[in-house]
Amino acid sequence: MNQTPQNVIETRGLSKSYKDLQALKSLDLKVRHNSIFGFLGPNGAGKTTTIKLLLGLTRPTAGSASVFGMDSVTHSVDIRARTGYLPQDPRFYEYMTARQILRFTAEFFFKGPKTALRDRVDEMLDLVDLVDKADRPIKTFSGGERQRLGIAQAQVNYPDLLILDEPAASLDPLGRRDVLEVMSKLRKYATIFYSTHILDDVQRVSDTVVILNKGELVAQGPIEELLAGSEGVIYIIHLKGAADQALPQVQSLPWVSAVKASQHNDETVWQVSVSDPLAAEAQLLKFLVNGPVTVTEFRRKQYELEDVFLQVIEGGQNVGK
Amino acid sequence: MSGNEAFELVSERGWSRGWSNMLRSGLARWFNTRTWWVQCLIWGGLVGGLVAAVALAPDSPPALDLLMLFTVFAGLFPAVGVVIIMQDALVGEKREGTAAWVLSKPVTRFAFVLSKVVANSVGVIATMVIVPGLVGYAVMYFTKHFTVNPLSFLLALGVIFISHFYFLSLTLMLGTFFNSRGPVIGIPLAILFLQQNLIGMLPALRFVLPWTLIFPLGNNSSPVTSLMLGMPVQSENLTTLAIIAAESIIFVLVALWRFNREEF
Repeated sequence: MNQTPQNVIETRGLSKSYKDLQALKSLDLKVRHNSIFGFLGPNGAGKTTTIKLLLGLTRPTAGSASVFGMDSVTHSVDIRARTGYLPQDPRFYEYMTARQILRFTAEFFFKGPKTALRDRVDEMLDLVDLVDKADRPIKTFSGGERQRLGIAQAQVNYPDLLILDEPAASLDPLGRRDVLEVMSKLRKYATIFYSTHILDDVQRVSDTVVILNKGELVAQGPIEELLAGSEGVIYIIHLKGAADQALPQVQSLPWVSAVKASQHNDETVWQVSVSDPLAAEAQLLKFLVNGPVTVTEFRRKQYELEDVFLQVIEGGQNVGK
Repeated sequence: MSGNEAFELVSERGWSRGWSNMLRSGLARWFNTRTWWVQCLIWGGLVGGLVAAVALAPDSPPALDLLMLFTVFAGLFPAVGVVIIMQDALVGEKREGTAAWVLSKPVTRFAFVLSKVVANSVGVIATMVIVPGLVGYAVMYFTKHFTVNPLSFLLALGVIFISHFYFLSLTLMLGTFFNSRGPVIGIPLAILFLQQNLIGMLPALRFVLPWTLIFPLGNNSSPVTSLMLGMPVQSENLTTLAIIAAESIIFVLVALWRFNREEF
């Protein structure tokens, strides 16, 4: 078996430009062995360009990328021999059937025995629920069926690295759930690098996330770190009563750094930023309960990936780099 | 890769990685689909039908003239089919995205292009050279009792293939330079149909265009006719044959070089 370095993918200053367009600007990435690496970004952020550079389908204009410790330009065939790839918009030979596509794909990696090849193809057809359509030509397949076939062909060679470009884009919710389950199962055997715009999926299965915007890396880190946010700890407090009177008292607390107040129906809502989370946890609620207000809701703000995503894309902030 | 212990891994290395699978797939596209019999029907029917129409006409020409007409039909018309099929080999795959998909597998670009050359050459030989040749020969035999030495006949068909291969390799090469079908079809077809005029304007072009392999020029026989009649091929025709073969190889080499620089 081939030795795999700790970082399956590593890029250094990876850049790509097309005429006047800078598609990727000096990208530095490290993807650890057996991780599920979510690659996020709006359309045109450079996600597909990065994937094509990793596979040697296109050449960098500056910088370099290595996969399994091999250079993506000089050893692209050796890299692809250990990789499974699902393109964003999978295109297959229309005259072939699903079974023939899987067989054709498998034969780039294995030359036999025939029974093992046949069994592997059947296993993949079963995995993506295409057994009953296995012998139909691809030209009769719907977008979702093509996507499922794409997922099957990407795994047919037992890849050490699975690169999926928008794997759940054309799937219904059940199909999406199945893909995420497959990804979770495969992490034991493979590193999964996938791009998506479905933030919920990333939050559910990824352990590391990168956000690209306009060809630049704007956030990178373990998912927990990104979800912790860059604004520090914030408490959301819903109040009734004399919130105006209580506000200066809260603002005067030494560990309160800011309070944003807003009105929601008949309640006042505060977002209290604190510099000492332990002190806040121990004292903030007690302080309010003893004051001229009634606390109807008190919670620490939990970030969703969508918040982080919008914050870095719209705010142009760099998080976790 | 874990889980693949049951398999025998592909042993091809270097430029040949993926070659056998690509070639198998290219041949299957010709012979495991309806392509082969559709092409046989078109070119066998067209060449055989035209030869039969002339042979059975009330004022039909003598066998020798019929043979010359046969070589013209067999050398000219199937070349149109070669161009149409070959424009799809690279431009079609680039435009449809299948080239990018295949090249994401462990296959070299060299193997990808070379498999297109070999698989399509085999398809062209079978369906656009041998079948129309045999049909045309059968028509000449049954209408004019015309017979030739089988080896001479095969050699003559080989020259027709060299003419077709010129257009096959030219179209393939153009497919590496362009992403739209227009110029990839238009340039070879323009050469195919205008080469007589071009040679008329600049006679030296007879050495670099395949026209004289098929068509007699002045009092000279074409090499195809000479071979079928068991006559020696004139040295000027041999020179043209060698130049056309060399040009075709250059077209393939340029295609390999250019496709290697292609980005997907």
